[in-house]
Amino acid sequence: MTLPIAISVLVVNLFFFPGGREVIFQVGPITATLEGLGFALETLARIGAISGAITLFYLTTPPSELVLDLERRGVSPRVTFVALASVQTVPALVERATTITAAQRARGLDTEGSLWRRLRGVLPLAGPVLLGSITEVEERTMALEARGFTRPASRTLLWWPPDSARQRLARWLLVLALPSIVVARAVGWLGWLR
Amino acid sequence: MTDLTLEGVSYRYPESGTLALDGVDLHIGAGERVAMLGQNGSGKSTLARHLNGLLRPSSGRVLHDGGDVAARTVAQLARSVGLAFQDPDRQIFRGSVRSEVEFGPRNLGVRGDALRAAVDAALAEVGLDTDAGTNPYDLGASRRKLLALASVRAMGTSVLVLDEPTTGQDLRGVEVVRRVIGKAHAAGRTVIAISHDMRFVAETFDRVVVLRGGKVILDATPASAFAEDSWEALRSTYLEPPLPALVGSKLGLGATATDEALLAVLSARD
Amino acid sequence: MLALESVTYRYAGAPRPSLHEVSLDLHDGEVLGLAGASEAGKTTLCLVASGLAPRTVGGTLGGRVLLGGEDTARLAMHELAGRVGIAFASPATQLSGVAATVYEEVAFGPMNLGVPRPELIARTEEALAALRIEALAARDPAQLSGGQQQLVAIAGLLALRPAHLVLDEPTAQLDPAGTAMVAAALAALAASGSSILVAEQKADLLASICSRVVVLDAGRVVLEGPAAEVLGDPRLEALGVAPPAAVRLLRAATTANLSAAAVARLGAALDEAVAR
Repeated sequence: MTLPIAISVLVVNLFFFPGGREVIFQVGPITATLEGLGFALETLARIGAISGAITLFYLTTPPSELVLDLERRGVSPRVTFVALASVQTVPALVERATTITAAQRARGLDTEGSLWRRLRGVLPLAGPVLLGSITEVEERTMALEARGFTRPASRTLLWWPPDSARQRLARWLLVLALPSIVVARAVGWLGWLR
Repeated sequence: MTDLTLEGVSYRYPESGTLALDGVDLHIGAGERVAMLGQNGSGKSTLARHLNGLLRPSSGRVLHDGGDVAARTVAQLARSVGLAFQDPDRQIFRGSVRSEVEFGPRNLGVRGDALRAAVDAALAEVGLDTDAGTNPYDLGASRRKLLALASVRAMGTSVLVLDEPTTGQDLRGVEVVRRVIGKAHAAGRTVIAISHDMRFVAETFDRVVVLRGGKVILDATPASAFAEDSWEALRSTYLEPPLPALVGSKLGLGATATDEALLAVLSARD
Repeated sequence: MLALESVTYRYAGAPRPSLHEVSLDLHDGEVLGLAGASEAGKTTLCLVASGLAPRTVGGTLGGRVLLGGEDTARLAMHELAGRVGIAFASPATQLSGVAATVYEEVAFGPMNLGVPRPELIARTEEALAALRIEALAARDPAQLSGGQQQLVAIAGLLALRPAHLVLDEPTAQLDPAGTAMVAAALAALAASGSSILVAEQKADLLASICSRVVVLDAGRVVLEGPAAEVLGDPRLEALGVAPPAAVRLLRAATTANLSAAAVARLGAALDEAVAR
């Protein structure tokens, strides 16, 4: 997904960067400038850092572990519940939507005809999904409350992700790294990165 | 009236690759009353969905009156095959019983007096005529299921396929379902029901088809299907024959699938 | 003992009460069956017995619900959770939806109650053993069959160590294999002395595990007594309840003018068939 963005950033800035003077090469009427290239690379580095960080986080952190750790540190179980349950309900919702579509098609709802005909199918398809979700929420709430979920005090956790000394050290280093870099740049060091 | 045929139908689910139907050959003549039995995962629901085009065979053909239905859309096939799903809450979306039942026939182009007549008749059959203006969610779960049944019945299709019509119903609900099936049959329509209510099956249907692992393992009249010879096949898929069949066999009275049949034999020998 | 004393209950916004002056006793170690037509009030009674009505569901409650002689009116839902467990007909919606494994699902209840970790583990393993589903402990609850999910739900209740279990049509949505699984589990629980209130349409199921049966009609108790007696009562069908298959058959036989000998032979064969 990042690739198309990267390519467009590169192309646009390489050829069309305003104020570009040092020419690298020319393709017909379009010139590629060094300043443009520099700017493009800088922007790409930023995009890469952000998307890389998000991807790394997503790949290394199972949602249940994240959520349990948050709860251990004091976040309310209701928040953790909503976070986890939202992920879990997606497949069930998809399955329900599929059955609803099938049931309405079996009653003659045309989902294969013209666009106009298919638009008329929105209410018969969305209606039961919404109504069913409401009913389901009611039932789920009853079941949760009947199992003591609304108890005001904190709950016992069955397990939580272990936190080693190395992890704590790594976290502190990262936390300290950010202000350090900001200060360093302000003071004028690390200019070569430009 | 529509004659249904499955010719060597196999179906493999695209996502999981599981083979849900394995070379099924089945012919259901117009006007028959057929019950389909089997555990969840046996292929019975998958088979039902092939009858109206919701699912298309991975191999083999589905024929209506001898013609392959591959080129016909589900909306077109809904004119001849009405399929009532097991969970009514997966189709109800209107604010009144009447408008809900109107949905099916409307899709088929029925309007005006014909529409009113079809809906009135269907509502009367399931006993919801006095609740025509009620919000479906103000009805209890079992009456909503009867509403779903009426919704399909109102479409006037020559084939009715009912997925677990008596599950969750009380005595009166089962009676209503039986009556609806009786009326449909009397009008020459084909009725196919997926059910695991053995008593209901024995008393209401002329033919029992048992599925296991995507194949038909038994296809006979209730008397035959519940006779001692078939018990092994039934039990291999966790189905138990109805009580009259068990008792009749114990008393050495032959194949007695229903209370009536058992008592008739007992009377005769008395 | 769980007792309902002249309970009248009306859902919020409902024109009429769903339960009228219902009195009911569930003794410790007893399995009480609840029968009745759809909308006779079985589910409502289960909700009242567990405390969900009026706490979570709203509505107005008249009369008293007593647990061990104590009026539960001032108890909050989470306080009742450890004392009365309730299971519903729909297997999927009563699972928490946040447990990756059956083990975590069963532990969910005692976790909420803040039970200390060693006891939490002990209770979870006990509950899994009581329902013989230890083999399912590592599985994802969402991938199980309906019957298996119901067993997990019931195990989740047992882990709360409630004095009473209330089950609202636990087999209504299950296939025959699932029904057999749950019926066997309930029989085992009954045999081990659990106190259970079970509402069901399947009279045969009630006949096999209940010592007493109560029949509701339009929110009132109309029949009450030993299971065999109530389930054999000729008024059952008029009340919208299908009697057990054996009862229907025998009754039809007597009406069919069969000789006494024939009826006796039938009766003997029925006893044998049902006992299997």
